Amino acid sequence: MKAVYALYTDPDAAQLAVDALRAEGVAERDIVVMSSEPFEEYEFSHRDKATWLHWIAGGGGLLGMFAGYLLTSTTQQLWPLVTSGMPIVSTWPNTIIVFEMTMLGAILATVIALFVTASLPSRLSQLYDNAVTQGYILVGVDGPSDELAARLDRALASVEGGQVKSIA
Amino acid sequence: MAHRWGMVVDLDRCTGCEACVTACHAENNIPTVGAAEAARGRAMHWIRVERYWEGEFPEARLTFRPVLCQQCDNAPCEAVCPTYASHQTDEGLNAQVYNRCIGTRYCANACMYNVRFFNFFHPQWEKPLQLQLNPDVSLREAGVMEKCTFCVQRIKAAKSEARAEERELVDGALQPACAQACPAGALVFGDLNDPESRVARLSESPRGSKLLEEYGAEPKITYLQRQGWHEPDAQ
Amino acid sequence: MNRTRNNPLADDLVRPLFHTSVWFYGAVLVLATVVLAGAAAWGYQLWYGIGVAGINWPVFWGFYLTNFVFWIGISHAGTLISAILRLVNARWRRPVTRCAEVITVFALMIGAMFPIIHLGRPWLAFWLAPYPSAREIWPNFRSPLVWDFFAINTYLTGSLMFLLLPMIPDFALVRDRSTGWRRRIYGALALGWQGTTKQWHRLESGMQIMAIAIIPVAVSVHTIVSFDFSMATVPMWHSTIFGPYFVAGAIFSGIAALIVAMAALRKLLHLEAYLHPVHFENLGKLLLLMSLLWAYFVFAERLTVWYGNEHSEMAVFWATQRGEYAPLYWAMVVCNFVIPFPILALRQLRTIAGTVVASFAVLIGMWLERFLIIVPSLAHKPLPYTWGDYAPQPVEIIIMVATFAAMILLYMLFSKFVPIISIWEMKVGNQPHPPVVTEAEDELAGLWRARP
Repeated sequence: MKAVYALYTDPDAAQLAVDALRAEGVAERDIVVMSSEPFEEYEFSHRDKATWLHWIAGGGGLLGMFAGYLLTSTTQQLWPLVTSGMPIVSTWPNTIIVFEMTMLGAILATVIALFVTASLPSRLSQLYDNAVTQGYILVGVDGPSDELAARLDRALASVEGGQVKSIA
Repeated sequence: MAHRWGMVVDLDRCTGCEACVTACHAENNIPTVGAAEAARGRAMHWIRVERYWEGEFPEARLTFRPVLCQQCDNAPCEAVCPTYASHQTDEGLNAQVYNRCIGTRYCANACMYNVRFFNFFHPQWEKPLQLQLNPDVSLREAGVMEKCTFCVQRIKAAKSEARAEERELVDGALQPACAQACPAGALVFGDLNDPESRVARLSESPRGSKLLEEYGAEPKITYLQRQGWHEPDAQ
Repeated sequence: MNRTRNNPLADDLVRPLFHTSVWFYGAVLVLATVVLAGAAAWGYQLWYGIGVAGINWPVFWGFYLTNFVFWIGISHAGTLISAILRLVNARWRRPVTRCAEVITVFALMIGAMFPIIHLGRPWLAFWLAPYPSAREIWPNFRSPLVWDFFAINTYLTGSLMFLLLPMIPDFALVRDRSTGWRRRIYGALALGWQGTTKQWHRLESGMQIMAIAIIPVAVSVHTIVSFDFSMATVPMWHSTIFGPYFVAGAIFSGIAALIVAMAALRKLLHLEAYLHPVHFENLGKLLLLMSLLWAYFVFAERLTVWYGNEHSEMAVFWATQRGEYAPLYWAMVVCNFVIPFPILALRQLRTIAGTVVASFAVLIGMWLERFLIIVPSLAHKPLPYTWGDYAPQPVEIIIMVATFAAMILLYMLFSKFVPIISIWEMKVGNQPHPPVVTEAEDELAGLWRARP
């Protein structure tokens, strides 16, 4: 599998490199950008921003709420024991359990969805370069055809301040 | 109709002799912890006779109040137990299941009468006292809570006896150890659901009141207040 | 502009992971000994029975429950404060969040141990968990102790995730900087983090959701801890003020713990370039606010009781006000208000040293507060015949000291294995802002530059 990438120290240069790749006709989803911080102010970091995570968290919360309701009301009826003259299914205290289960559901759903959608844990891709955590911004394409690779090489090199590397 | 066990304590009759305390210890296998531990507040008396002084010396008067589990309808000790060790039986007893108890001691804190006791250590009986243990009552290990049961073992026995003889329970024949031992007859035990029972009639007495009634726990023990007491020469 | 200039920052913050002084080993040895002494004390208690502790009839709860409430309170330092600062996007939070969140996780673990230590039969503590068993009985969901079980588990899970998620990029950084066994361990911890744009977005929105979710959970945890008391009709426990009163007290002691921890880190790990006087100044202001709030709650609580003049409550009231607990009560007032208020109110005194002194006072004062809530009430229940007292026994004191040692030890070890300041979040803070944002740049911005 081939891969072409370049390392930049300057996020502006990385932005130019991403633009250059786009100009070469590389599809948005094939452009890989890796960095040691989010760079929220730059356009290149806005890719993949759309997310269902909030809805998933809400769904997890609803699931937790339902589980909490079932847990409390059914187990109280399984072996109905009277305490302190309270009703067998005591709504007020049960609300506390339902609340905690709701929040637990939301938290667990968020974490699981985060791990799945961010593909964690996984092996490092062949594109990965230790320089990323040293502060370099990696812009590259994984697995281009030979002909495309050569063009991308030139496109990335056209941006000043980058070190172009390729994996055969 | 289900039974609803209750008691009446006539404060006018109580002499503070503590025969009830002794009888309770013997009947229910309650360990004695020794003087040193008792001084640290580890004594266990399912029934105790509270002693209060009224007035100033030399006009002081000594009064007694036997206090045992009030078997509340809305017992504050029950709901706080995380494991249902403390709960209400269908005969209105405030039951404590020793095997379920994990020893949070929350019930004892929630009880405003302080009639729940904790086994701080494994119970011990000096020889030959172990020979007088009641085989009908289980021993409690360290770390569990215990309390007055209204001598539930006697209730069970009397009920099965009555069932075997195909008759109703006789009011007054069934008594917990404390009531049985009381020489003054200050403690009256019986079924509150039987309107003819002594306990039901006495609990309707105008002298009757509940201990710490304002907490709303609805105890099943009624205290009959002392009546006005006059020095002979005051008349 | 050279982005790799951030490397000195990473060098500084990663250094403790690779270099360990002999003092560190010495301190670990001493602390571990104390922790082991605590474990031995617990073993002794398990063997002989809970009677070796000072609890008695009628004071069935003592030091263990005091420490439980205290440590759960300390746990409100981290996650709650960090989540609030994240949501309001306070820039000065960046070096503070992780060292705060760690306090939460460890304090919760320690705090949650105390209800187990205090059980009569601790080996059965798992009966609080809801699971189908041969006993066919489920936990009693009406019991505040079961609420505790659920609340603490939710809070611990949430706080742990809140702490661990932003650590992943830093684990990746350490992975890339190390070799051998370190590389393997941190590689596994980094879970294959590469810093793709997608991963960054997911991490950031995940953290945002977690920050929103964790705030109500944190509030609920200490409210439920307060319910352990206020649900019982014990004089001066049965009060509706307890929920907010406990939450405010928890945040109060939590901030104090955070200030002490930050001052220690700054000194011992030489983080002067990251933890600035302004952090202590800001947290000091927050501590001042909580001190005032605490005084307000105590006044409201005491006034209500005094005015109501209910006889069993007044017994507790006078026992704390001028009876046998009065020395502790007034010490608490001094520690929680008289000392911290002037220090934190005067700008000249609100220095690093000043805030640390105030924080130590608050920690002592808040511990006393928990003790004074629990013990005097139990010692003065409605029937005067049943009044009692309480004196802690050596086993309780040893276990308590051991948990303080355990907290310091865990914190030290953590700072040895994980960068205690979030490196990637510091880098974000260092970024020069594009022109649109520059106008909003406030005076503090200069502080986020790791190097001049």
